[in-house]
This record gives sequence, C-alpha cells and structure tokens, in this order.
Amino acid sequence: MASKNSGVTRRKILKGAASAAAVGAFATTITGFPHIAGAQAKVIRIGMPTILSGRVAILGTSSRAAVQLAVQEFNAAGGVNGRTVELIDRDSKGRPDEAAKVTRDLINNDGCEIIIDGEASSGSFAVHEVIRDLSVLCLHTCSESSTLTADPKLHVKTAFRSARQGIHDAVAGGKYASAISKAKGLKKWMTCSPDYAYGRDNTAEFIEYAKVFDPNIEVVDQVWPKLFQPDYTENITKILQVRPQAMYSALWGGDLVAFIEQSNLYSLFNNITFFSGGLGDPPVLTAIKNLPAGLNTVYRYNRFFPNKPGNQAFAEGYNKIANQEPTNWSWQNRLACHFIFEALKRTNGKTDGAALAAEVKGMELDSPFAVESKITMRADDHTIIGYPAAWGVTTSKFPYVQDFTAPAWSEILQLESEWKKRKGYA
Amino acid sequence: MTGRGFLRDLAIAVALLVVLLVLPTVVPHPAMRDFVIYVIAYGLLAMSLNLLVGFTGLVSFGHAAYFASGAYIFGLLMQSGKFGIPLAMLIAIGGTALLALVIGAICVRLKEIYFAFLTLAFQMFIHSIILTWVSLTGGDQGLMGGIPRPPFLGIDLNNGMSLYVFCSVVFVVCMVIMRQVVQSPFGYTLRMIRDNPHRANFLGVNVVRMKLAIFVIAGTMASVGGIVMALFVSGAYPEFGFWTTSGEAIFMIMLGGTQLFIGPFIGAILLQTLNHYVTIYTEHHGLVLGIVILVFVLGLRRGLADFVYLWFQDRKTKQIEKEAGR
Repeated sequence: MASKNSGVTRRKILKGAASAAAVGAFATTITGFPHIAGAQAKVIRIGMPTILSGRVAILGTSSRAAVQLAVQEFNAAGGVNGRTVELIDRDSKGRPDEAAKVTRDLINNDGCEIIIDGEASSGSFAVHEVIRDLSVLCLHTCSESSTLTADPKLHVKTAFRSARQGIHDAVAGGKYASAISKAKGLKKWMTCSPDYAYGRDNTAEFIEYAKVFDPNIEVVDQVWPKLFQPDYTENITKILQVRPQAMYSALWGGDLVAFIEQSNLYSLFNNITFFSGGLGDPPVLTAIKNLPAGLNTVYRYNRFFPNKPGNQAFAEGYNKIANQEPTNWSWQNRLACHFIFEALKRTNGKTDGAALAAEVKGMELDSPFAVESKITMRADDHTIIGYPAAWGVTTSKFPYVQDFTAPAWSEILQLESEWKKRKGYA
Repeated sequence: MTGRGFLRDLAIAVALLVVLLVLPTVVPHPAMRDFVIYVIAYGLLAMSLNLLVGFTGLVSFGHAAYFASGAYIFGLLMQSGKFGIPLAMLIAIGGTALLALVIGAICVRLKEIYFAFLTLAFQMFIHSIILTWVSLTGGDQGLMGGIPRPPFLGIDLNNGMSLYVFCSVVFVVCMVIMRQVVQSPFGYTLRMIRDNPHRANFLGVNVVRMKLAIFVIAGTMASVGGIVMALFVSGAYPEFGFWTTSGEAIFMIMLGGTQLFIGPFIGAILLQTLNHYVTIYTEHHGLVLGIVILVFVLGLRRGLADFVYLWFQDRKTKQIEKEAGR
C-alpha cells in the first residue's frame, strides 16, 4: 500500500498474475490433495484430536497408544467388508479453538469419517459443537464432565461418550467413603483439591454423596492449592493444624504426586484416612517414590480389575506399544474403538454418521472392562454404564491398588436419576 | 489523508475482498475456508494490537482480554435467544469498547514496562472472572451448547460458505477502518507520540487522550476478531482471554513486522500456516516455532513484511542513485 505509481504496466500485470498463482498454490498446499471419501474408499479414516504436548500430554499419548493397538488388531483380523481403518491424530495443545479447527480439518481435509475425541474438559465441548455441524460419528473418550451428555440441551445425535462420568464417581465414592467412615467413626473431614472448576465441583459432589450415606460427616476445613502448584507445604501445615480424621483430595497427575511425596515428609497419612479421586492411574502410582499403603483411591485402571483375561491381554499389548501400564484414558479409548468397530460390522462398513450412531445407541458390548459382563451405551443420554465405578486401597507392590469395591450399578443409577431431576436434566 | 489515497485504499480493499471471495471457487475445499476464517480472527487480533505496538509504541500484553470479551458477550447474547446476529455484534463491540475505555483510562497513564504489566494484570483479572463466574460463563468448560446462528437479512451463517463470505466482508471492513485510523491526522499524531511523546505534548497534543482513544479502537477491533472466532467454533472459551493468546498476537507481529499496515496479518498467516503443518508432523511444535522466531529475530532482525519492504526500498534507492550517477 506504499506505491504512488498508479499506471498499469506489463510488469505489474505479471506481478499480479504471479501473486494470484502464489495464492492459489498456497491454498492448494493448505488443503492438500482432494481426498476420496465415502463408502468406496478402502481405508476408513478415524480422526483423533487430542492433547499431545504440554503438562497433560499423557492424556493424549496414552489415549493414542490404546487406539493404535485396537486399530492394529482390527486390521489384522481383516477389518470389515475388506476395508481397514487408519488412525490420524492431531495435537490440539489443549486449546478448545484449536480442537475445533483440528477436528474440522480432520473431517474436511483428511477425509476422516469417524472422530475419537481425546480432548479433556472444554476441548470436548468444542469438538461436540463441530460434530453438531458435521454429523459424523464421534466418541468422546476423556471428558468426565457429566454435563456433556446429561444436559439434554447439549444433545448431539451422532456424539457419544465412552468415558467415566463425574456423577457416577461421586455416588460410588460417597458410598465407599461412608462405609469406612461409619466403621471407623470418621466424623471430622477435610478436603484438599485444586482451585479450579473441576477441583471444586468434584470435591463438592464427593462430599455431597458421602453425607447422603453418612450424615455424621462434617467438613471442618477446606484448602485449595493452585493448579500445577509445586510446593504444598502451606497446605500440609494447615492440614496438620486442623488434624482431621479423614481427607478427600481431587488432586491429579503430577500435582498429586508432588502432594503425596511432600506429605510423606510430615507423615501426614499416619493418622488421616485419605481418599483420592485421581491416585488410581498406574503412571501416577509408579511416579510416587514411596507410595504409602492404605490410601483409598478411585479406580482409574488396573490390569487385575476387572479380573478378566481380556483386560490382562489389553495391558500386555498396550505395554508393548507404550512401555508402561495403561491409564484411565487408555481403557476408555479402547472401549470407544470396540463400539466403533462393532457398529462398522453391523453397518457392513457403511460410515454414514446417522447409520453408525443408530447402531451405537443402546449398544451392549461384551467388554473386559465391564464390572459384570456388559458395558452399555445408554440410549437416552449417549453415555456408558456398567464400567468399573470402584474404589480400592494402595499397596506397596505392583499393581499398587487392591481390594476393589464396586457399588451395585442399580444404586448408582437411582441416585443419578434423582440428581438429573434436581438439575432439570430429566 | 487525501481523497486519492482513500480511494486507492478502497480499491485495494475491494481487490482483497474479491480475492477472498474467489478463493473458494479456485480451491473448493471446506478446509480452506476454515483456515481463512481462523486466520481472519487472529489477524484482526494481531492487526489491532499493532495499532498500539507499532503505531503508538504501547506494548500491551493483555490485548486478548478484548478478543475474549467480544466472543463472550456475543456468545451470551446469542444464547439468550433475544438478539439477532447484527445487534449482538454491535452490543458486543460496544460493550468491549466500554471495557477498554475503563481499563485504558487507568493503563495509558503509565509508560513502557508498567503499562505492559498493568494490561497483563487486567487481562488475568478478566480471565479469572471468566473462570470463576461459572453460572454465566461456564467456567473452564467455556460457553456450552453452541452459539445459535439465526438467519438475518436472508443470510444463513449455518451454511459454511455464507459464514466464510460474512467473515471476509467483516474482515475487509475492519481493515479499511484501521487503515483510515492509521492514515488520518490522528494516526500521524500517534506516530509522533510513539517517537517523541514529550515533543507531542509540547506541541499541544493531549497524549493521554490520544493513547486512550487508540486503546479503545484497538480493543474494539480485537473484539470483532473474537466474534469471528466465536462464530467459527460456535463457543467461547477462557483460553481466548489467557495471556498466551496475547503472546501469540505479539508473535504474529514479530513474524510479520510492525512498520507496514499489513505486516501483522502476514504474521498471522505465517504463524497459523506453520502451526498447521508443524502440528501435523511433530508434537514438538513449540521447539520448531521457537527456532523460526529466533531466525526472524536474529536473522532478519525484523518481521518478514518489513524486511521485504525495506529490501525493495533499498533497491529502489540504489537504482535512483545509480541513475543519478549516470
């Protein structure tokens, strides 16, 4: 915009043509070659937006490894109707706008006909809205937010969740904790959870249901360390001053590792019965140098629970790919693949979003991760039930958590139903 | 600014709009449209920030606050179901202008690093409000349930092509407005303030008022970027108002350059293109982008647009000197 010469010369026309060609070439480069989508393409592409970098990269890497394993096995078994599947993953960096863009790109540019949404928290809501627009089959595999599927206003016909749900964990946790509090007479409770929406909501729900089952429970104090806080001395000192009989924490990942390591220096767990909403993930358990025995944790993943050959075979196969035990996100992604592959078999390889969704809706799967025999994709709210909503106790030996207790799903469903009514979801 | 200059800028704007509108017919691919809309949103953020950084010498670290403000106000109004898209856009832009006026009235009295830190502090304050006011904003999960796009004046933004055309038109209109600001006497006064605020003050310029005016204009333009992004992703998220988003806008300015009006937009294209490809091939995108920025900072010592422009200027000068010598 700095030129003063307004005459049109041959050189200018050539420059203009070159610029137009450059724009065209750039545009073609961005979009890549036109894909051949549709039922006739031999390979069925599954797109996976997830978090592969940053502090929570383990969410994405452990999700991706589980899907890679499932895809390998499915293709080795011959695929469906002569068609194999291919996984295309993309890093959203944990940003919702990037998750939306990447998901659209996977569908529009890479020709993905199915989406496995390995996003956490807000990213999954962003992907959800893309699916509302583009109507391919989508399985959310990492978001535990109950609202995603419980709120009918957010309902998307082709979107499902194959992940645990906050409200189920809250009921199971409350039931488990109240049984211990009644047996040991634990009345004086405290909480120590990260100071952001998930930490506060998760803690409130756990305490709410613990009180439902044991009204004698009294929360005498609460501390809220910052998310990703490196030093918990201040919080631990406060807990030692208050001297509660029991404590709940929604800390997770590296924060939980740091908190337990630092608490060990003060022998915090000698006199406090500890309940954790995030300790049960094998990478967290193995990252703690001196894991105290007797801590109570929600089930995240364990190769011996449910104690089924399929579960152990999954852990072995996963270990060969990832060189570590599976995480909570791993089994949830594996389960998503099972739903997708079963739906593909039933549609004989047809990848139309509505057709696949009609198959996944209400599907009952024989799964190695089922507490009993089946995990069901509930038809009315597109979320799973029948998975291990269980709690166990830590030990110093592999696999570091044992004595799992799972409440009956009928009881969880009854309280979930009441919760939905209170929230206006039912 | 002369009438001839305005007409020339208008002609360039029309040409740019034509290029944008023709692009989907040359490359009839939805991914291309998505990419352009994404670049438009971040381009507006970067170009509006450059009104402060490049033309006024005010390095704001908190500019994404207005990007988020535009997205959230627009999203909330649309979710209420009581507003059409044009009215919601106007209210979101007006609301953000008011917000920028309040914050700017405090910030522009400070200089250099103090100004930068105070803008950052206000941004983090707004980010905290978004996170903690869960009942209104959805907290860290963002505005859930999508943003409705009811048709208006026969335009249905639920159609991908219509959304693309709408965003392109909005972008070009914003560019024309910013260009007129930069080329007006007010814009030249801003450059004087950037280069020598004491001299400007001595000449009778109310420096604080001028800075405040451009602060509000820049915030308003950033809010349009936020609205475009909210329309594209059908939501608004706290990350829009996080400091890293402001940091990205600064990266775009560094990549594109500050001296040319179009520089930050070129930076936005460069950064988003790099981001697009690097993310496909590696998870170590931070490392790659860092190296690219280092190359620009240490190698070119300025943004790409500035480098090319100065290279042409230098060439032209040498040619004139050569001809004069002959």
